[in-house]
Amino acid sequence: MTALLRRSDSANPGMRQGHLDSVALFSTGWKKFGLLLGLAIYLLGPLMLSDFQLSVIDYAGIAAIGAIGLNVLTGYTGQISLGHGFFLGAGAFTAAYFGGNLDLPLPLWLAAAAVVGALIGLVIGPFALRLKGSYLAIITLGLVFLGQHIFENWKSVTGGLSGRAVTAPVKLGPVDFANLDIGGKEFSREGGYFYLIWAVVALVALLVKNLMRTRLGRAFQAVRDRDAAAEVIGVRLARTKVMSFVVSSSLAAVAGALYGSFQRFVNPEEFGLFLSIEFVAMIVIGGAATIYGPVLGALFITAVPFLIEEWSDRIPGVATEAGETGITVFALNQALFGLLIIGFLVLEPRGLAALWARIKVYFLAWPFSY
Amino acid sequence: MANSKVLLDVKDVSLSFGGLDALKNVSYQVTEGELFAVIGPNGAGKTSIFNCLNAVYKPQTGSAKLDGVELLDLRPADTAELGIARTFQNLALFTNLSVIDNLMLGRHHLLRSGPISGPLWWGKARREEEVQRRRCAEIADFLDLADHGSMPVGALPYGVQKRIEMGRALAMEPRLLLLDEPVAGMNQEETEETAHHILQIRRELGIATLLVEHQMDLVMDLADRVMVLDFGQVVAIGEPAEIQRNERVHQVYLGGAS
Repeated sequence: MTALLRRSDSANPGMRQGHLDSVALFSTGWKKFGLLLGLAIYLLGPLMLSDFQLSVIDYAGIAAIGAIGLNVLTGYTGQISLGHGFFLGAGAFTAAYFGGNLDLPLPLWLAAAAVVGALIGLVIGPFALRLKGSYLAIITLGLVFLGQHIFENWKSVTGGLSGRAVTAPVKLGPVDFANLDIGGKEFSREGGYFYLIWAVVALVALLVKNLMRTRLGRAFQAVRDRDAAAEVIGVRLARTKVMSFVVSSSLAAVAGALYGSFQRFVNPEEFGLFLSIEFVAMIVIGGAATIYGPVLGALFITAVPFLIEEWSDRIPGVATEAGETGITVFALNQALFGLLIIGFLVLEPRGLAALWARIKVYFLAWPFSY
Repeated sequence: MANSKVLLDVKDVSLSFGGLDALKNVSYQVTEGELFAVIGPNGAGKTSIFNCLNAVYKPQTGSAKLDGVELLDLRPADTAELGIARTFQNLALFTNLSVIDNLMLGRHHLLRSGPISGPLWWGKARREEEVQRRRCAEIADFLDLADHGSMPVGALPYGVQKRIEMGRALAMEPRLLLLDEPVAGMNQEETEETAHHILQIRRELGIATLLVEHQMDLVMDLADRVMVLDFGQVVAIGEPAEIQRNERVHQVYLGGAS
C-alpha cells in the first residue's frame, strides 16, 4: 500500500484540500445566509406573529420532527412505512405517563419518549426484515391497528377511548416554555412552545444530518440503493435496517411527546392511519432523502388544513356549518392530500426540495434558460 | 508469481439449484499476489464461483479456505471483513451517492462510528471521516476518478462507473479481489485503461485477483494462470500458453468431436 500512498502525493490537488469540505454543513454563502435567516426568524417569530399563526407553526415543527424521522426510514433507507402514526402515539402516551403520572421534568420525559420509541422500533424492526416495498407497507399498516387497540384498552396509561390529559411540565431549569418570560417580556404559550419545538427541530435535523454523513447513515443509503451489493461489501443488512427503524421511531416518539404536551390532551383516535399517511405525504411533497425537505413538507401539510378552514366559506361545495350540504373541511383535506401526493409523484417525485433546487438553478443561469 | 504461498484453497465445491448443477467438484488454488483468470462459455458457472466465495450462494459440498479460514460457513458481510472484495458483472453501485461516498462504503467494515458517535460528529466520528476520506481520495486518484468527486455516480458514464466499482472494491483493503467481467461493454480505449489499472493493482498493491472475463486477449495478456470451466466443471487449469494449446479447451469453445 505504500506505493499507492506515494503516488497520491502528487495527485489532483482539487480533491485533496480539506477532505471534509464536501460534507460541510454550511458550505456555501447561500447556505450560511439561510442559516442566519432561519436564526432571525427563530428569534423574532414569537414577537411578530399572532398566537394562531404561532400555533400552526408549532404544530408544523412537531410534524417536522416526525417527518425527519420517517425520512430516515423511507427516504434514506428505502423502507416504506405506514406505521409512523403509531410511534407518535407511543411517544405522546409516554410523555403523558412519565411527565404527568410520574411528574418527571422535561428532559427526562422527552428522553423517555425517545427511548420507548427506540425500543418499539427495535421490536418491530426485525419483522420488517424479510419484506420490502408494498409488503412492508402492509405489515406496518397492521401496526397502526394493533396500536389503536392497545391505546384504546390500556386505560391506566392512555385513558382509553376518551383519551387523557397531558400535564407534563415544560420547564428547563428556570425557563418555563408554557409561560415564558424573558427580561419582563411575557410570551404566550404558543410563543414559548415555538422556541422549544423549533430548537428541537434544529437539533434533530443536525443530528440526522451528521448521521447521514457518517458510517451508519451511509449504510442506510447503501441498503436503499442496492441492498445485495451493500451486504457483500460488509454492511450487515439486518442490523442496519433495524437501526433505521430504531432511529425513525425514536424521533417519531419525540414528536409525539411534544404533540401531547403542546395540545395538553391526547386521544387514541388521533394516531390512526390518516396521521401515518400525512407523514408519507410530508416526505413525498417535501422531498425524500434531504434534511430540509421533510421540514418544508411538514410546514406545507400542516398549514393547508388551516388555510382551507380560513377560506372554506369561499370554496364552493364545502360545508362549514352543521346542516349545510357539501363535503366537510376534514374530507376536503383528505382528498387534497391524496391529490397532492399523486400530483407530486407524477410531476416532481423529488418534492419541494427539488423544486427549490430548480428555481435556484434557473436564477443562477438567468437570463439563459439552459 | 511473486511468492507461492497459497491464499485461496477451493476443494471439491459442488453447487446445484434443484436438479441443475451449477458447479461440480470444482477445485483450484490461488496464491498470494497471483492474477488468476476464470473463463468459459456463458452459463459455465463463472459468476457462481464468485457467489460462493462471497457466501451469497451456499454450495452443498466442498470447502473454500482463505488463508485457512473456511468461507462457506460465513455470511456475505463476514467475507468482506475477511478481505474478499468484488465487482459485479452488471453494475451494483450506490447510484445516489458520490464517488467518495461509494468508496467510503467500501471501507464500512474498517469504520467504527455508530448510532451515538455518528450523530454527535465532533470528535471521534469527525476524525475518522477525515482520515478515511483522505484514503478514499487517494484511491480515487489511483484509478483516475478524482474529477468526479461529488457527482451522484448514477449520472456518470458506464466506463467510469465500472472503474468506481473497482475503486469501491479496492477501498475495502482486500486480500483477494474478485473482478467480474471488468471490461464488459467497454470500447477499446476504456478496455486498455482498465487493463492498465488491473496491472497496476497487481504490481503496486500486490493483491491476489480472481478475474472472470470473456475478452480472451485481455485474459491471455494479464493472467498468471487460467482456469477453464464448462457446464460447472473444470476443463483445465494452467498458464495462458498451455491453455491456448489445450485440445479440450478448443472443443469447449469451438465444439467438435468429444
